[in-house]
Amino acid sequence: MVNGIIKRIALGAAFSVALASSALSAECIAPANPGGGWDFTCRTIGKIMYDIGAVDAPIQVTNMAGGGGGLAYALVVNERNNDPDLIVAASSATATRLAQNAYGGLTADQVRFLGAIGADPGIIAVAKDSPYKSLNDLIDAVKADPGSVTFAGGSAAGGFDHLKVLMALGRAGFNDIKAVKYVGLDGGGDAITQAIGGHVQAVTGDMSEVVGFLKSGDIRVLAVFTNDRVPGFDDIPTAKEQGIDVVAVNWRGLYVPKGITEDQYNTWVERLRKVAESDEWHEAMVSHGLAPFTLLGHDFETYLDGVIKEVAQLSRDIGVIQ
Amino acid sequence: MSDRLFGLAVIVVALGYILSATQIQTSFLSDPVGPKTFPYLIGGTAIICALAIILKPDAEPDWPSLWTFGKIGLAVLVLVAYAYALKPFGFVVPTAVAAGLLSYQIHPAAKSASLTGIGLSVGLFVIFKYALGLGLFAFSRSWF
Amino acid sequence: MDTLSLLADGFAVALTPSNLALAVIGCFLGTIIGALPGLGPSNGVAILIPLAFSLGLDATASLVLMTSVYYGAMYGGRISSILLNIPGDEPALMTTLDGYPMAKAGRAGDALVLSGVASFTGALLATFGLILLAPVLAQVAFKFGPAEYFALYVLAFCTLGGISSNNQAKAAIAACIGLGIAMIGLDNVTGMPRLTFGSMQVMDGVNFLVAIVGLFAVTEVFVFIESHGRESALGVKLGKITIPWRDIIFTFPSMLRSTVIGFFAGVLPGAGASLGSFMSYTAEKAIVKDNSKFGHGDPRGVAAPEAGNNAAAGGALVPMLTLGVPGSGTTAVLLALLMTLNITPGPTLFTDRPDVVWGLIASLLIANVVLLILNVPMVKIFVRILMVPAWVLLPGVTMISFVGIYSLSGSSFDLLLMIGFGIMGFFFRKLDIPTVPVILGILLGNNMEDNLRRAMVISGGDWTYLFSSWIAIGLWIAAVVGFVAPMFLRGVIKRPQAITD
Repeated sequence: MVNGIIKRIALGAAFSVALASSALSAECIAPANPGGGWDFTCRTIGKIMYDIGAVDAPIQVTNMAGGGGGLAYALVVNERNNDPDLIVAASSATATRLAQNAYGGLTADQVRFLGAIGADPGIIAVAKDSPYKSLNDLIDAVKADPGSVTFAGGSAAGGFDHLKVLMALGRAGFNDIKAVKYVGLDGGGDAITQAIGGHVQAVTGDMSEVVGFLKSGDIRVLAVFTNDRVPGFDDIPTAKEQGIDVVAVNWRGLYVPKGITEDQYNTWVERLRKVAESDEWHEAMVSHGLAPFTLLGHDFETYLDGVIKEVAQLSRDIGVIQ
Repeated sequence: MSDRLFGLAVIVVALGYILSATQIQTSFLSDPVGPKTFPYLIGGTAIICALAIILKPDAEPDWPSLWTFGKIGLAVLVLVAYAYALKPFGFVVPTAVAAGLLSYQIHPAAKSASLTGIGLSVGLFVIFKYALGLGLFAFSRSWF
Repeated sequence: MDTLSLLADGFAVALTPSNLALAVIGCFLGTIIGALPGLGPSNGVAILIPLAFSLGLDATASLVLMTSVYYGAMYGGRISSILLNIPGDEPALMTTLDGYPMAKAGRAGDALVLSGVASFTGALLATFGLILLAPVLAQVAFKFGPAEYFALYVLAFCTLGGISSNNQAKAAIAACIGLGIAMIGLDNVTGMPRLTFGSMQVMDGVNFLVAIVGLFAVTEVFVFIESHGRESALGVKLGKITIPWRDIIFTFPSMLRSTVIGFFAGVLPGAGASLGSFMSYTAEKAIVKDNSKFGHGDPRGVAAPEAGNNAAAGGALVPMLTLGVPGSGTTAVLLALLMTLNITPGPTLFTDRPDVVWGLIASLLIANVVLLILNVPMVKIFVRILMVPAWVLLPGVTMISFVGIYSLSGSSFDLLLMIGFGIMGFFFRKLDIPTVPVILGILLGNNMEDNLRRAMVISGGDWTYLFSSWIAIGLWIAAVVGFVAPMFLRGVIKRPQAITD
């Protein structure tokens, strides 16, 4: 008799599960605290995907900060490798850390990169009352006394935010990397707060992270690491103009678990393409200081292979890895 | 005596902890404290406190009988089995079995225990899945 | 100045019938989510965000729903703390210390009503604090650099000995265990794994929820099996449920003090509600004249942490709204919600989008009143939980805990770890070792270490930097006093009686 009851309950539950799973929402993991670049990627792309009808249910965003994205990467590789309903925000920082073997031995080929649909220009900023008026002021101060300037960024030491500083200093002829002081915080917002409070002297980050504070006038952006000035922020000089030839943009993109099928992969690529072509995304890019940068699917995977090799070489050159 | 044994165990674990902390990779950059200092401090503090406990133990607690320990051990086994069963077999069946067994341990009456198991399993599934929207699977995915 | 008229506008936006209905639904769901072990306010808000979207709610309505869930969960966490000795979420941890003894003494109803009033007081005053002081308080967050944060964490750990154990060494060992566990995983400063022994499962560290649920819920099952329910509040004869006016009046000063402490802990990003309720409790225990009943059902020990954690919940909105920096896991999720609604919190939010800010504040006030109205009559229903036979209730709580943990991480490893914590909790209970410091260690350990290391990077290894501001020095003095005072005063004030029954 109990068996019969169980069977009936089972049948009922089976139907409801079948019904529910069709409307199951996908998840986007932002491997940082809310407010940072990865968080923006998940929220904006996730929202647009739903708004333009590329997915049936709203995409649920999970924040998983830690280890410069390594926590989320390890989770995807180890525990969610076959999950077709999972996308993860990625950026240049992800590639950098993979190139430096900083995800505890995990490698770039353990997930599949979907594509990038925008790039966030790298910046160096200081508090509004800082004595440093230009990038060269700041670099001269580091050259004179490396201990006098601490940089804060939203990624761990050796991460992309850190590398930008080291590259800029390297171009200016300062190569004593061990002397450069850098603290990694749990996101761009925290880093800016520390700079405004005067605990650190400069912030290295991305344009999207400073827009709010730029508007309120609490910080001053010394340089943007792009080839040309960023539309909408025309009064901010590039590093190139100031004689520091560094271009460092932080592309915004996604990766998915390795274990999903080719079809599932292509479905996500198409969804991302729709977002990239949407008006909503173009608006979002403008309001967040992103420059256009679209590479999808296999093109992106090829591009990334090259980037990772380059960063690995660069990291060896500047002594970040052996 | 129990306190002293516990103190000894803490010392052994803390020493092992400090030993494994010596293996932590250090960084290449400006990081005066480094990733090892804190684990050392924690291990060291634990050892000092453990010595204090060994020297000045509290009164002996009332340990349960072996029979009771056996019962608790059985409950642990049920929970461990449940932990392993959730993924392959879905929510409903393992929950019914585990809840039923626990219930039986607390109040040995087969009928009420099995009803508790089934009731909890189905009821909780409905609440978690539909009221709170958690991503649970009722049954093994391979069954369909 | 025109704060009042702005607030009136906010109410005009938030006080529509449909929004009021949403507030009631949100408060109810939030209370339940808060009360379920393993699901805390951050999960609650995160789980319900998709609901807001699928209902197609506008910005204000979504905010009303989410803030109701947020405050509801903060209220709800205390219910399982008091009734079952299982904290529903991490800020409700401290409420177990005196709330559960009250329930065991048959005063579950009193404890619930009292904690409800304390929550209301804390949350209400914190909301006024938010209204009046937000722009000023945003400046406080700037003042806290790594040195100040480190001193704050040191203060928290130095006052640990005073919470629940008769033996400071045991409390310290418990804290060391928590801190030691916190070290496991990727090191935030170098980004390299530590003490993982090559295991990928602990690469992302040990989740404190796993520890809380294990040490409290699972342990409770073992203790029940051992004692056949003798030491449990289950089946205790309940007194008639009345409003305990005497306790409320008696504990009112405690509530006010705790509100202030909790609010400031909330304002500091990186301190948060758990620290708020913890510091409220220890401060209250240190301030009051006769603290011998703390840990054995002192109503002030219930009122203080509840006022503290709800005040912290309000305080945490200050850095979230004015700086875009979340002060707690839950505000992180609320921040995320705002960003999805295309509202970017930050220094210009108050001037750019006053409608959103004041709508939010109005919905906080509404949620708070709704919760008080919902909660006091609901106490009668809640205490019924204690009438449920143990052979239904305990398996139920265990299964809820398992599902809560499983649904968050989807890994059986976390479940095994939770059982391990349960076994550890059982032995700790026998040896009279407090488990609260273990949780605090896991919760705060990484922040404490990261801030010390950041401070040392900034100063180039110069330790005097840790004492370089008046805020830091003040916190250090408080820490030393908090650590040393119990040792010297031990002879002077009566030692708390060891539990002998």
